[in-house]
Amino acid sequence: MTFVTELFFKIPLLAIVVINLQAQTTFIDQFYYAKKLFHEEKYFNAVTEFKRLLFFDDTNKYDFEANKFIGLSYKEGSKFSDAIYYFTLAEKNVQNNEELFETRIEIIKINILRRSTGRAFALLDSLQNDNRYINKKDEINYWRGWTYIFSDDWENASSNFESISPNHELKIFSDSINSEFYDVRLSKVLSIFVPGAGQFYTGEYVSGLISLGWNVLWGYLTINAFVDDRIFDGFMIGSLLWWRFYTGNLQNAEKFAVEKNLNITNDALRYLKNIYSGPKP
Amino acid sequence: MIKILVIFLLIPFCIYSQSKSINFHSPENKKKFADLLFCEGDYLRAVEEYESIRDVIKNDTIDIKIMYCYSEIGLFNESNNSLKRISSNSPFRWAGLHLRLKNKLIENPKGLRVFHDMPSPPDMSERRQKLILTSNLFDEEIIYEKEDFLYVFEKGEGQTISYFYDLKKNPPYKSPALAGFFSAVIPGSGKMYVGEWGDGITALLVTGLLAFLAYDNFKANHNTRAWIFTGLGSFFYAGNIYGSIASAQIFNARIDFEFRDGLNLFLQQKNYFMPEYDFCN
Amino acid sequence: MIKSNLKIFFLIILISTSAFCQLDNLKWEKAELSYEKPDNFRHRDYSFVFDDTGDFLKKTIAYTYWFFISDVDGDNCPFRPSCSAFLVQSIEKTNIAQGMLAFFDRFTRDMNLYKGHNQYPRFKSSHYYDPPQNYTLNQGTIKYLPSAQIVEE
Repeated sequence: MTFVTELFFKIPLLAIVVINLQAQTTFIDQFYYAKKLFHEEKYFNAVTEFKRLLFFDDTNKYDFEANKFIGLSYKEGSKFSDAIYYFTLAEKNVQNNEELFETRIEIIKINILRRSTGRAFALLDSLQNDNRYINKKDEINYWRGWTYIFSDDWENASSNFESISPNHELKIFSDSINSEFYDVRLSKVLSIFVPGAGQFYTGEYVSGLISLGWNVLWGYLTINAFVDDRIFDGFMIGSLLWWRFYTGNLQNAEKFAVEKNLNITNDALRYLKNIYSGPKP
Repeated sequence: MIKILVIFLLIPFCIYSQSKSINFHSPENKKKFADLLFCEGDYLRAVEEYESIRDVIKNDTIDIKIMYCYSEIGLFNESNNSLKRISSNSPFRWAGLHLRLKNKLIENPKGLRVFHDMPSPPDMSERRQKLILTSNLFDEEIIYEKEDFLYVFEKGEGQTISYFYDLKKNPPYKSPALAGFFSAVIPGSGKMYVGEWGDGITALLVTGLLAFLAYDNFKANHNTRAWIFTGLGSFFYAGNIYGSIASAQIFNARIDFEFRDGLNLFLQQKNYFMPEYDFCN
Repeated sequence: MIKSNLKIFFLIILISTSAFCQLDNLKWEKAELSYEKPDNFRHRDYSFVFDDTGDFLKKTIAYTYWFFISDVDGDNCPFRPSCSAFLVQSIEKTNIAQGMLAFFDRFTRDMNLYKGHNQYPRFKSSHYYDPPQNYTLNQGTIKYLPSAQIVEE
């Protein structure tokens, strides 16, 4: 073969090799790359790469998965409004009922996390009433239970978990938490009749004793003033002092009960977040 | 012969792989993606993409967009540094200089007088004049006369600037000394002078009541109580004078705050008199 | 010649990487999500570290008042800081005379039944934001916030 003839073949071959040495990436490679960033917890970059994939994907083949992962990335960054936006976009591109259910559950979980539980309940009801998901009843009840937990309604949470299984771990847990709560109304009623009694009920003995002492003192001085016909003095002590400490006693009775209940709730939520091994929002 | 066969086999394979893959990170594709992000307002991602291609695609439009993105995300140093990349012959050079002024004003709201005599083309000169003159309203004192101030503004803008100018020259401050004097003569009147009628009437009633109680108890020879009421009354009287002075100062601080807030809002509505480029259509 | 080129090269790398470092600071990352409900209850900070005798006296009086009276008579003060805390902070920022006068003025404003309306910004707990720094008679320390603003705790 002459030199020219050899060149005629070698140049195109070289060109083909060079073209293919450039970084050509298939869409699936870009998808896996973005997914890899997601699993490495580089969520900001993952969103960028998924958005890049969506921009160049004319076939819309990756619309559901990419939007779903963008939503999950925003969720991990606690950017809940953005997460819901992208899950809604994912919902518009579902291919089957499973994908639709999966997306709706993700939206429900985000509503649970940001405590917009009314919205979560509405979405759960819509899933329950949807004939396509009759076989998903347990899963719907499970997330409804979680929604009740985040609404501070442990009793209803327990009954929802019980409908899945009578010995469900979260049913037993909810029952134990519910039994620990203080009755706020009872605390206030006790303090109406005996100042300081509500504080005693919630374990705040020192505060209860001080409250009782002040109420007894101002009560005595008020009554004494009225008995001695010192009406103005009686009125001033009664209104400015006795009434103030009496209402303070009622406020504290309620406050301590609510505060103790909040501590119980937060301990329970901490357990669910850090120790409980089942599916979580 | 074998070589010809190899080449003809390779060519369709390469064409096939070209149609199913794309160089996501080629400069051209990065630019397209960056343009999308810019138009969506995702400036942080857009500037990252633009920065990665600016050395490959030397384009003034990219440089001004980079400058704009940095400005929008609050990185004013980086925005100002990006100006150096825009050549002096570029049509975006003056826009870049104007953007630099905008950045300076946002970072540190005060007069931009030093830039008053910088040369610029006629269409930019008017914009710059507007920005610089408006910026002077942030200074402690305005050195310009009203006619020298308003000449560059159109009718609608001129009315607004005129309002701010008048407010700057003659702010409706209240005199703390006068407020204190009023309250010394009639308790609470200093607060009423500042516009706090509720606090003023309360101060008047409280001081008056304590004064009456002191007088009444002295008259009834209840000297201990009388001196207690006298002492309390004196403290409330002195506190009312002190509070009136403080109220006048807070009133003046409110005038200053509302002025600056209103001026910032006006500048934002006018986009700091930046030239408008439609990069997204 | 080579050394100066190398210096310029490293300077360029430094500048370009520092630009990206700034962007890295702005990129959001995984957030530590907590399930817990916020605790908006006031918790007293009873610190028994005293700087001097004056501090000892001031804290003793304040703690005694908080423990025996303020924590028992209910949450009557619509302001934050509360009137007693306002007194302590005012004295710290100015002196005892000015602090007392500011306190009596605060007490008067507290007694105003129609307060709050377009006058004070609020915390999320609905208490009015009324810091003592605005009542030192020093115009420079006043931090004005509009009444429509919700103040972070």
